[in-house]
Amino acid sequence: MTLAGAIPRWPRRLRAGLGLLAALSALAVVGPWMAGDPTAIVDPKVVGLLPPGSVRAVVVRRDGTTVAGDALRRSGPDWVLVRGGAEVTVTGSEVARAGVRRFWAGTDVVGRDVLARLVNGARVSLGVGALALAVALVLGVGVGLLAGWRGGIVDALLMRLVDALLAIPMLFLLLFLAALFRPSLAVLVLFLGFSSWMGVARLVRGQVLSLKERDFILAARAIGAGPWRIAFRHLLPNALTPLAQDAALRLGDLILVEASLSFLGLGVQPPAASWGTMVAEGQEVLANAWWLTGLPTALVAATVIAAALAADGLQELARSET
Amino acid sequence: MLRRALRRLGAGIALIWLVATFTFLLVSAAPGDFATRLTDPRIPPAARERWRRDFGLDRPLPARYASWLAAAATGDLGSSWIYKQKVSSVLASVLPNTLLLTSLGLALELALGVALAIVQLRRPHGTGDRLITLATLTAYALPTFGVALGLVAVLSYRLHLLPPSHMLSLEGELAHGWARLPDLARHLVLPVVAIGVAGVGAVARYLRGSLLDERLEQYVLAARARGCSPRQALVRHALPNALLPLITMMGMSLPFLVSGSLVIEVVFSWPGMGQVMYNAALGRDLPLLLGGTIVATAAVVVGNLLADLAYAVADPRVRV
Amino acid sequence: MRSRAASSLPPTGSGAIGDNERGSEMRPDIRSTVALSSLLLLQGALACRQPVVPPPRPAPSAGLPLRGGQVIVATTADVTTFNEYQSTGEQGEADAIDLLFPTLMTEQPDYQLHPPSFAPRLATSWEFSSDNRTLTFHLRPEARWSDGVPVTADDVRFTFLAQKNPAVGSLGMEMKDFIKDVEVVDPHTVRFHFTRVYPYQLMDANDGHIVPSHAWGKVPFEKWRTTDFEKMMVTGGAFRLAAHTPQQTIVLDRDPTYWGSPRPYLDRVVLRVVPDLASQLAQLFAGQVNLVQAVSPQEADRVQADPDLRLVEFPSRMWGMVGWNNRRPFFEDRRVRRALSLGINRRSLVDTVFRGHAKLSSGPVLSSMWAFNHNLPQLPYDPDQAALLLAQAGWRDLNGDGILEHDGRSFAFDLLYPASNALRRQMALLIQADLARLGIKVRPVQMEFTSLIARTEAGDFDATIWVWVEGTRVDLTSEWSTPSPSQGSNNFIGYSNPDVDRLIAAAREEPDYSRAKVLLDRLQELIVADQPATFLYESTMLVATSRQLRGADINSAALFFNVDEWYWER
Repeated sequence: MTLAGAIPRWPRRLRAGLGLLAALSALAVVGPWMAGDPTAIVDPKVVGLLPPGSVRAVVVRRDGTTVAGDALRRSGPDWVLVRGGAEVTVTGSEVARAGVRRFWAGTDVVGRDVLARLVNGARVSLGVGALALAVALVLGVGVGLLAGWRGGIVDALLMRLVDALLAIPMLFLLLFLAALFRPSLAVLVLFLGFSSWMGVARLVRGQVLSLKERDFILAARAIGAGPWRIAFRHLLPNALTPLAQDAALRLGDLILVEASLSFLGLGVQPPAASWGTMVAEGQEVLANAWWLTGLPTALVAATVIAAALAADGLQELARSET
Repeated sequence: MLRRALRRLGAGIALIWLVATFTFLLVSAAPGDFATRLTDPRIPPAARERWRRDFGLDRPLPARYASWLAAAATGDLGSSWIYKQKVSSVLASVLPNTLLLTSLGLALELALGVALAIVQLRRPHGTGDRLITLATLTAYALPTFGVALGLVAVLSYRLHLLPPSHMLSLEGELAHGWARLPDLARHLVLPVVAIGVAGVGAVARYLRGSLLDERLEQYVLAARARGCSPRQALVRHALPNALLPLITMMGMSLPFLVSGSLVIEVVFSWPGMGQVMYNAALGRDLPLLLGGTIVATAAVVVGNLLADLAYAVADPRVRV
Repeated sequence: MRSRAASSLPPTGSGAIGDNERGSEMRPDIRSTVALSSLLLLQGALACRQPVVPPPRPAPSAGLPLRGGQVIVATTADVTTFNEYQSTGEQGEADAIDLLFPTLMTEQPDYQLHPPSFAPRLATSWEFSSDNRTLTFHLRPEARWSDGVPVTADDVRFTFLAQKNPAVGSLGMEMKDFIKDVEVVDPHTVRFHFTRVYPYQLMDANDGHIVPSHAWGKVPFEKWRTTDFEKMMVTGGAFRLAAHTPQQTIVLDRDPTYWGSPRPYLDRVVLRVVPDLASQLAQLFAGQVNLVQAVSPQEADRVQADPDLRLVEFPSRMWGMVGWNNRRPFFEDRRVRRALSLGINRRSLVDTVFRGHAKLSSGPVLSSMWAFNHNLPQLPYDPDQAALLLAQAGWRDLNGDGILEHDGRSFAFDLLYPASNALRRQMALLIQADLARLGIKVRPVQMEFTSLIARTEAGDFDATIWVWVEGTRVDLTSEWSTPSPSQGSNNFIGYSNPDVDRLIAAAREEPDYSRAKVLLDRLQELIVADQPATFLYESTMLVATSRQLRGADINSAALFFNVDEWYWER
């Protein structure tokens, strides 16, 4: 049976979740080409803090500056912008582009298009989030399996390491590392993943400890299956349920924690956008401009919901196949 | 069993020492120190150097570490540079506030999570199930400050039902003893609900998944065969087993119990460990940071010990 | 359970007025959830709902202010100590301490015309000797501490000894460098002996609040650092400490034995700790607090539109600049620095970020100061001239990538700013956009504040957005004279001009302020011509109060400048 044939038989949750994730990823991949420059500052005085759906006339000059107004008309070779009561004329030779645009998602304080920032931020947030999650999962599952399966001194040492990492004030570790490394996406992914794997390890270890003594594991050992085989064929699939749930929620956490790292100088630096930094920056003007925080939050929530649905679906799939 | 517990305790103390040492090194290596923030142009720059000397920051690292360690081993954690009181009294004054908040919050999270999961399983994949999933996931994905601010805006500023911040109102602070209790209770509601609502998603989802798995197990079917209603089978038989992974999670939450949530504390002006530690970090208050780290490590060690013990008790097959 | 490791930053945003409508249909399935939440709400509702009101006031006499009532002031942080000489100098602490302890005189906010003048407070009068090396204060005979003990010259001398003592190590110790001794002539006359004559003798003598020698003198100076003075609070101001709940509230009650006149109308001043600025405003709108000190420019309109609130605006002594590291090859050439200043649209930047609540800065001295040179040229926004200067300095775009090069180096650098400040982030973005048009690549880098200071102190930076809060003393030494390695310096940009150094030293020594003004005018011309930094803005202070709070003259001298005259109208 081909994959295409199998998909319609997957549980609905799985399809819904994966579908939503695919849509978000498509947004991240394709969106930036269509949405325009997220860093362009468009005449903050007229275009700053516009609610979603606003329409403004924008004239872009050859030197890169922009002038905006409520309405636009031609006057011979020149363009005339109407701003409030006044009129501003821009000579035709200076004009690179002129037109009326609708800001579907509004603008921020310095006049940047929020929609463009959302889709560009999608790339950063989803990419960094997924990669960091992968790092956290690999590290966490590895350590958890090792600690749970081997037990004894290995378990004790590894769990003490986990405890130590949980107790150290992360802020300092990150400050110190921020002083050493220049901000880059690779650094960001590694730090995020590294700060997050401990929970996964504890979870997996707990699962392994309880599964270790179950009949089917004892049987597998009896017939001589090696530890790796047991780990991947038997332990992991049964630990999948809580692991998948945890991973889905962890993804949302990572996307938002990235904003804290930017605060320390480790994450994406302005003017680049990510959903996490958009949420953090929008906090300051929440009363006046709900969309600056609300829209990226909605997208983060959508991501988490999609991942959780997919996790649910995976669980059902696993259950239906046993 | 006792020997093993003692060994864990010894390991715990060793861990505390290790983490404290590492933190000492980290804070000393981080850019800036306590005197760095004195950038008021009215203060002559010479004062900054003087303060560095006064707080011993010009001594070499090994000497400073040695004196701190010698004092700490006898129980003297020194004085906080920012708060000008003994570290132990600073921590003692804020720790109970945090514990009160976080323990109630976690309890709410757990209770609400269990309740929601059970409700969801009455009719899995039904509309109620889906709605609750949507609601709890949305609440989880929202940044904590969003949930907190939302609650405050609606329940406090709009409806005037509850106070927006602080542990006690002005009248409550000037009152004494038991008279404070109702005031404190009113002030606890919003932050506890904020913590609970923000985290209930995780609990409800784990339990839902766990219960769905357990429901298919033999012993549950056996219980049904014996005549238990679906609800009884769920709650009396499946639930205790489904709670097992939750126990690990609770162990993981002990650090949160002690260190609190900075965001909640700032939004609700709650005098807790979160704010104190954050200010200590920004202000490079080394004695206070070390004291707080020791408390946090102790909480982690104890938490894990309890979680492992609970696991062993709950599932006799597990050998810890 | 959330597992957010590096937990999120403290929110600095405005309170959420938009509601969070979690619409869920009332299905039987979620009865339990609804029941649970209603139970919680019920608990809250069962307790009586009482918004905080001032204590009941007596009926007013016709035309006269009401006596009584309390003012609740929102502050961002708690006071860490009530002993000024232990303190690290947070602004909030200074305000509270000013209500509790007296100073010899009160500095007036009249520094626009001349160095600030002083009004009597503990001292009724004062005079200089003929050689100006001796300053004699006559103290109020009726002044008393809160425990009834008279305030005498012994207290003034004791305070001076504490201020100078190295074991105490107070922050303002260096202010007393030129005061040799404080002599007790008689219980109500005290004499300051100076080592030299200079314009700020009164200011230095007045610096620091007087503390009770009979109470605090019992603690040896070696123990001052570690003693909790709150346990032995004896105060001498209009208010005394009634209660202090750590990190929450400070309650100051009017001291009925206060010796000053007129006695304050208010019965109580409450300082409520609300760390989040947005929550402060939200509570002001809700009537939970009566005064908020730092309203952000973006919220000013909302405050002004509210009929129950009043917005007070006055020029603050806070000003911002872009500090170019003069030691770096990019910024060594003053033509380049001038080009940068011409190439940044400072007017537009200030308008966008501050929305009219700031003015353009012209130079190193605040325009509200007496020493300000009103004939300073104001640099326009002139990108063409800027491009010309850059070309003259050797910067050209040789490889067509849109970025200028010179000596094999591209004109690309990091612009540092503290992440915690939204306004500076906006400025960094606007500066980046403006300079990009000149072919200069600016990389804004946000950093944690203390790390930022550490880097600038060490000179390890290219450019940074920096804000100073000036005192009322005009002394350009620490910020603009060549840094000397032996004494610390605030001239972290490394600016060095020997002519400027000479003039600064001369102005500092000049006892006559009008002659000093001539020197200072010339100084400002030189510094502005050099453009060691790009002078951006001077912000105004925005304070919001309840409209019914009257009589408050909130100005740049102090928040509680005339708290004795504050009153509530009906």
